Amino acid sequence: MMKTKYIIVTIALLVLVAVCAGAYINTNSRTIVLEFGMFAGSNWDVANANSYVIIDKAIERFEKEHKNVKIHYYSGILKDDYSEWFSKQVLLGKTPDVFMILSNDFNQFAELGILKNLDELVNNDKSFDKDKYFQTALLSGEYHGTQYALPYETVPTLMFVNKTLLEKEGINVPRSDWTWDDLYDICEKVTKDINGDGIIDQFGIYNYDWLDAARTNGAVLFDENEMKIDLSNEKVIEAVKFIKSLYALNREQNVTQEDFDSGNVVFMPLSFADYRTYKTYPYKIKKYLNFQWDCITFPAGKDGGNISEVNTLLMGISSKTAHEELAWEFLKLLTYDEEIQMDIFRYSQGASVLKNVTSSMEAELILQEDIEESEKVIDNLLLSRVIEEGTVAPKILKYNEAITIANGGIQEIIRYDKNVDSSLKILERKINQFLKQ
Amino acid sequence: MQGKKFIQFKILMIAINLIAVLFVTIFIYITTQKICNNFIAREFINRVDALPWKPDRNIIISICLFGILIFSFIIREFIYPNNSKVVYLSLLIDFVISIIIVCILNFNYNGILFLVIANIITYTKGNKGRYLLMAISIMSILIADYEMISINFRLYSINDYISFYDSMTQQYLLGFFNTVISINILIFIIYCIYVIQNQRGTIDEVNHLYEQLRKANEDLQKANEQLKEYSKITEKMGETRERNRLAREIHDTLGHTLTGISAGIDACLTMVDKSPEDTKKQLEVISRVTREGINEIRRSVNKLRPDALERLSLESAIHKMIIEIESMTHTHIYFESDVKNLKFASDEEDAIYRVIQESLTNAIRHGKASQIWVHIKGGQGEIILTVKDDGIGCKDMKMGFGTRHIIERIKMLNGTVEFDGTDGFTVTAKIPIRWGEEYD
Repeated sequence: MMKTKYIIVTIALLVLVAVCAGAYINTNSRTIVLEFGMFAGSNWDVANANSYVIIDKAIERFEKEHKNVKIHYYSGILKDDYSEWFSKQVLLGKTPDVFMILSNDFNQFAELGILKNLDELVNNDKSFDKDKYFQTALLSGEYHGTQYALPYETVPTLMFVNKTLLEKEGINVPRSDWTWDDLYDICEKVTKDINGDGIIDQFGIYNYDWLDAARTNGAVLFDENEMKIDLSNEKVIEAVKFIKSLYALNREQNVTQEDFDSGNVVFMPLSFADYRTYKTYPYKIKKYLNFQWDCITFPAGKDGGNISEVNTLLMGISSKTAHEELAWEFLKLLTYDEEIQMDIFRYSQGASVLKNVTSSMEAELILQEDIEESEKVIDNLLLSRVIEEGTVAPKILKYNEAITIANGGIQEIIRYDKNVDSSLKILERKINQFLKQ
Repeated sequence: MQGKKFIQFKILMIAINLIAVLFVTIFIYITTQKICNNFIAREFINRVDALPWKPDRNIIISICLFGILIFSFIIREFIYPNNSKVVYLSLLIDFVISIIIVCILNFNYNGILFLVIANIITYTKGNKGRYLLMAISIMSILIADYEMISINFRLYSINDYISFYDSMTQQYLLGFFNTVISINILIFIIYCIYVIQNQRGTIDEVNHLYEQLRKANEDLQKANEQLKEYSKITEKMGETRERNRLAREIHDTLGHTLTGISAGIDACLTMVDKSPEDTKKQLEVISRVTREGINEIRRSVNKLRPDALERLSLESAIHKMIIEIESMTHTHIYFESDVKNLKFASDEEDAIYRVIQESLTNAIRHGKASQIWVHIKGGQGEIILTVKDDGIGCKDMKMGFGTRHIIERIKMLNGTVEFDGTDGFTVTAKIPIRWGEEYD
């Protein structure tokens, strides 16, 4: 009896050990496959035919350096589908090891613990110096004081200037340290009815909103710790009033993209990616054909500087990755390697997140290559300054929804000529209630 | 050993828990697939606080962990039910595995801990460890509550997944899940009641048996006292019988002879003046009758002698007595005599024998002696008999029946007796001996 018991127990234990050992050997002998999650096309909603070139080059280099590692990615996922595709992978437990993160997703993913906390990796890697990144770019990947992602490509917003129209009106292109007053003066001068039909058809500015103005007036809109919006701040009130005064110049006439494309508007905010796309062949024949244009900084408010929003494409590591070291190496290759980062100027529309690369001569030459000789390329130092001094979207979980509500409310204040101070207070309370929910 | 019902209860609990755990994991897996197929993954992620790491792997891991639970159950119940080390080890394994399962389920279901408590209740017998284990398990149930933990930690909630369905299906799903939880708790409670009842039954039985034992003990005590009483009565009856025998003997022999002598002497008194010759004849008859009477008394006295002495020589009788006492008690008795031939007159032998017997009895009964020395020494017309023991002795001696008896016996032979209770107890008797020609 005792013998049978002994045999049963021994056999059961042996089976257990064998299963464990088998599983262990199985996982060790295979080549490691690192999943990479990316989307095709441009993050900046401009046409891009070369979206895989940089990644393919990086993969080739990485696989050469790490013999037993293969990097796999699904091609053909569009930017619009990427968020859904990625969420699906997360739900199914198939989160890629390294992946691109859309700016709309970053806060949510960081909050949910999908992204790996990179602080330890950053601090322990002696060959890694995070000060080589633009500060704003690095800040984009930070959530409540923790680095969850590294920047890959960055795009500042610039002010588009219709040089032909300004010349016609006898006005010089503003210097890079221009102010709200300068902008208002120019807008006041150019806003008029040209064809004499009684309707204004030449405008000063299009698509410039209270957020752009508030940023340049040094306003801090969100308190990230308290989860609160601050609209009753004097800087914000000034910005809204300024936008209101600009709107008043148009005498209730709506400015459209069409007006701008046909050369009847002087200023429009434009992303650096748009600038690069439509300045170069072949896309330059598609838009803005009948006038000369250039980009400058945003005008500064009373309490602020000539700054604008900087958008950054982030990349992160899955918090559940089984190959932390390799994932970190690959992430570093994409975001920290100067050669790969230089390729962003060659094959993409944004700018490199590394200060050295963006301000280098080589980058300037690459930018100049595609641009007609008569046109002046954007000054590298100006570009670096705009990126370094720019602002990034606050790390508030419901940021997008809160801003949508704020936009709606402020548009109403401007359209219906409401009292700015009191209306903003009401709006502030409404949004804070929403944020607390 | 556990009853069959206990095992059935436990199997039922394991089954219910398996259903609950599989429901949670498989339901989450299926719903995840549906969410992905409906292209609302991003929206779903916006709604939740946390996500299960790998829904498919969770199913496999929980089935494996349940396999270990069942394996430990089988080992405990069927293979080593009486080995307390194995039982405790398996209980510990159960506890750890249950905690792991609860963690994998992100505290959406913690009913499996009731299974652990049920086992602890059955297997740990009322000691400190039991209460400690119980406290730990109950604490774990309280702590391992989704609502509690989710305050501080990000946990996925089965409710988020249930809310994917339309309201009708939601109600069915929630209803099913809550029913499974309730059934598990219900079975646990019934099981506890069953265990408590069972234990109370055992306690009653023990009390009953104890009562019986107490009664039996009392009866025994009574019987013992009665027996002592009986033995006293028997002793007295023996004494009475002996007295009656003595009385009869005296009456038959001495009475008869003395009566004859008295009658003869009366006749002589009337005859002595008339016929001195006849009187002489009569006195001769009286003399003969008197001598016959003496012989008769001798014979009677002989009849009263101790059995041993009647059959054996004094020395053999003493040896026999010593052997008998030694065999009955743990006392060593050393007998030594420097008189060559221990052969005296029967009354003298009787006295010696009785003195030794009485002294030995006293030494053992009162002195609690372990060693006794008996010594007979011959001298000028007398012998000195000493009986010495190493017992507790006695400083203030009270005359008991035995010692008085000794004194009387020796006095009858014109001897002396001394008692000394300072070092053990010593009886020294000096007995004059009639070294007659017939005892050579």
